Amino acid sequence: MYNSTSENEVLQNRNLHVLIYMAGVVVLFSVLLYRLFSLQYTHYDENLQRSDNNRIRKVELVAERGFIYDRNGEVLVRNRPSYQIALQAVQLPRKKDLRDSVRDRLLRIRDNSGERLFDSLSLDTAFLRSRWIKTRPIRLLEDASPEQVAVIEEHSSELPGVVTLIESRREYPYGTLASHVLGYTNEISEDQLKLPEYADYSQGDRIGQKGLEQSYDKEFRGKNGMKLVEVNASGREVGLVSSGGELAPVPGLHLVSTLDLRLQRVAEEAIPDSAKGALVALDPRNGEILAMVSSPRLDPNIFSLKRRERNKGWAQVALDSMRPLTNRAISGTYPPASVFKLVTAGAGLENGVLSENKYYPKNCTGGYQYGARFQKCWGTHGALNVVHAIRLSCDVFFYQAGLEIDMERINEFGRRFGYGEKLLGVDIPGEKAGWLPDSASFNVRNKRAGWRWARGLILNLAIGQGQIVTPLQQAVFVGSLATGKGVYRPHFMKELRDEKGDVVRSFEPEIIRPGNMKPYTHRILMNAMDSVVNHPGGTGKRGAIPGIRVGAKTGSGEWKKGEKTHAWYAAVAPLDNPEIAVAVIMEAAGGGGSVSGPIAKKVMSAYFENKKLDEGIVEEK
Amino acid sequence: MISGSFLDRSLKFDWLFILLVLALMGCGITLVYSATVFEEVKLVDAFWFKQIVYFLCGILMAGALVFVRIDWLKRAAVPLYAVSLVLLVVVLFFAGDVVKGAGRWIDLGIFKLQPSEFAKIAYLLTISYWLSKHPVSLYKVKSFAVPFALFIVPFALVLKQPDLSTALVFIAVTMVSFFFAGLTFADVFLIVSPVLSVLFSHSQSVQFEVLWGLLICAVVFTLVRRKLPKVLTGIFLLANILAGYASSMAWNMLEPHQQKRVNTFLDPMSDPLGDGYQVLQSMTAIGSGGVAGKGFGNGTQTNLAFLPEEHTDFIFSVLGEQFGFVGCAVVLVLYALFLWRATAICKRSADPFVTLMVMGASTIFLFHILVNIAMTIGLMPVTGLPLPFLSYGGSFALTCMVLVGFLLCLRYQGSRR
Repeated sequence: MYNSTSENEVLQNRNLHVLIYMAGVVVLFSVLLYRLFSLQYTHYDENLQRSDNNRIRKVELVAERGFIYDRNGEVLVRNRPSYQIALQAVQLPRKKDLRDSVRDRLLRIRDNSGERLFDSLSLDTAFLRSRWIKTRPIRLLEDASPEQVAVIEEHSSELPGVVTLIESRREYPYGTLASHVLGYTNEISEDQLKLPEYADYSQGDRIGQKGLEQSYDKEFRGKNGMKLVEVNASGREVGLVSSGGELAPVPGLHLVSTLDLRLQRVAEEAIPDSAKGALVALDPRNGEILAMVSSPRLDPNIFSLKRRERNKGWAQVALDSMRPLTNRAISGTYPPASVFKLVTAGAGLENGVLSENKYYPKNCTGGYQYGARFQKCWGTHGALNVVHAIRLSCDVFFYQAGLEIDMERINEFGRRFGYGEKLLGVDIPGEKAGWLPDSASFNVRNKRAGWRWARGLILNLAIGQGQIVTPLQQAVFVGSLATGKGVYRPHFMKELRDEKGDVVRSFEPEIIRPGNMKPYTHRILMNAMDSVVNHPGGTGKRGAIPGIRVGAKTGSGEWKKGEKTHAWYAAVAPLDNPEIAVAVIMEAAGGGGSVSGPIAKKVMSAYFENKKLDEGIVEEK
Repeated sequence: MISGSFLDRSLKFDWLFILLVLALMGCGITLVYSATVFEEVKLVDAFWFKQIVYFLCGILMAGALVFVRIDWLKRAAVPLYAVSLVLLVVVLFFAGDVVKGAGRWIDLGIFKLQPSEFAKIAYLLTISYWLSKHPVSLYKVKSFAVPFALFIVPFALVLKQPDLSTALVFIAVTMVSFFFAGLTFADVFLIVSPVLSVLFSHSQSVQFEVLWGLLICAVVFTLVRRKLPKVLTGIFLLANILAGYASSMAWNMLEPHQQKRVNTFLDPMSDPLGDGYQVLQSMTAIGSGGVAGKGFGNGTQTNLAFLPEEHTDFIFSVLGEQFGFVGCAVVLVLYALFLWRATAICKRSADPFVTLMVMGASTIFLFHILVNIAMTIGLMPVTGLPLPFLSYGGSFALTCMVLVGFLLCLRYQGSRR
């Protein structure tokens, strides 16, 4: 086998290559050995010292969460310092008996009133977890009082591994005020962590839940920084690592909202917490929401408290049958009731079915005979044209008008002004869609119940019984109907500012529905809304404000036999040049004009008084 | 010879080689144990226990491979290569787990398959098989076409994952295979020289300028002596000069933040909050071990969890801290002996396939050893290459043991006649 010379040569050549290869290995290993020698022998002392005395640790610098202001610069949400007493696992003694003695000492610590600071169960859990979690502190006492912190600091020399940390927690200085709009912050949940949109969040992060806190969480968060610190043998920080050791955090953006604190306060006071209801006040010229109330409310401050109190508060609001967690102003779905008669009338006028001089052959005699059925009216109104029919909210007139116009045309007119199944896109989560039924969609929706569309249903739909709307839709509708210049997207965000106060982003008003009609239709509807408030016989006369031309429509929604009706009131002012639209609903409270009218009046008068006040200030300047 | 006698068969095994592998495994388990013992968990969940299980599986696999005939290895090469390409494509589209931001795993339910590990083995078999039949030569540029094609596909797919360090393993294996399939030392030098040009001209100090000048001289000298085809001569000269000048020009054209990213990769200490943090902690741990080390289980740096991933990529710092320079030197000597015994296997056979397999497998080991240790002592960028036999991890332990199985097989079967 080894006889051929050429093959022999090849093999020799190969053996030479193996030799070169191994020589390379030896050279490279020598380089490694030389470097190891330099680290472990030449520079041994400094490395040993660094390892013994100056332990370098990475510390995350949490960015300050952005504040929320009202439109005039009043703080609605800010941060407060909160002290946490925690276990730093790497600083705990490694011997078991020493560790246990730290535990026992902690157990013995009492505050001035003689109460124990820690219970043995939670201490045991924390010490057990400290074997696993080495890199981040394990919380022993959340949101500790200054007194508790002082007790711990006093004993700090006997408690290696026990540290006090300062965290920033959310504070809502006005408590329940606008709580549904602002939302709250909470520790991120396990379920949220699994979702892709929360990829850059980690366990223990506080995250906005509901309201503006949730919608603008990314903006509020800012960007966390980091620093390298040297800690001594007992784990106390002794200094920063000199070069390039710090990456400053970028604080979150501040949000200037469209809310007006003064108006919000008036609205909150007008609706008692014992009642179920909602109010929306907005500027129809650009969609800015000035005030939004949903009652009953919750206090978002409970989520910043320590766990035990937080859980108690949470259980209270979560289990309450009044459902204070729901933002009724955007998620409450109600029948629009007689407010919808404006839509029926508008569709009639727009399509030439109704006019100022049109009277129906059947006068209101307290009801209307449709086939075998007698549909009642809430009063006896006689012969009416469209303006007076709206003023008195006469059902008989609209039964006949509805049958003549048909639902398709009525719904088309309603959708121009924001009603219907499409969301308005308000910038807080939880908005519900409405529903305007016609023959097709009614059949689809009620297929399982086996109900079929019948023409007689138009009677109820024409007076607003059977549709679904939200209070926000009502306010948007009445506002855009009065301006006639399109429906603007309702929103809360006015501007986002950085910590220097410079505007980073501002909300661009956006038209989302055409909101158009003939000038004739507009004039008649405005006359009608005017007469509802300012005519002595109008159903909404309790919403009148002297000196301001308010237009409105009342509604009393039937929702359950034998119960009081939902009280609706949708108003807009001044009618000639609308600036504010208000929708109020009080659940099961009675007639719209008598219950909700005065509430809307309070908010509107406050708006115009404030405006006068502001203008006065401007003039003085 | 009386085939079948115990003595005869036992001579076909290199018992020193087997002993070295077992010794390195023992070191690995000891270090993983001391790095993770403070995490008090059930036995079956303990890292060191799992590592023993992986090694036992690996030993069974290596033992089985001994009895595979070399013909079968040759026949399996191309099909395995095809399968590995399919798996690499699959992992690109259906990345199972995202480990450190890169999808490199296919989750098969029972275990997780890492296609790039599989591809290393399949590529080694294929390139060895091809080159054993078709040697390469710079005088016949066409001879590089097929090996280059075999190389570039898995290389590009692994790079796309992105897994730069594993991709570099492919380059190392390819270069060494060419060296043992016809190229001379001078040829390899010529091929590598443009890379050296980039490195030398990158830092614009006088010493490096001189070094670069010397390099160019050496290249010219080699080209004159080798009398390569004119086109090739031109290409090598041009490549070196271009690499030297264009690289600094391209460097200046980069945005400052891009320059910073490259610098951070090359010199982790310039970013003490990122990669530099690990390297700083690792160097402190190793340096504080001194000559004799702090003793088993007494590593303060590692036990205080200052070091991230101490039981996987940074296992060498655990060694350095607890056993000092002596411990590190012993392990390096073990590695050197291991490589010596491994490369010695090819001398027992005239089959070029055996040579190429042996040298390729040795190179996979060598590359991992060098890059990993250099990383822990701050000589090289931080990459995710584990240390053979010492780092914790099932996939890589199995890869190593398959390679050991090949080596045993090549010795046992190769010296049959």
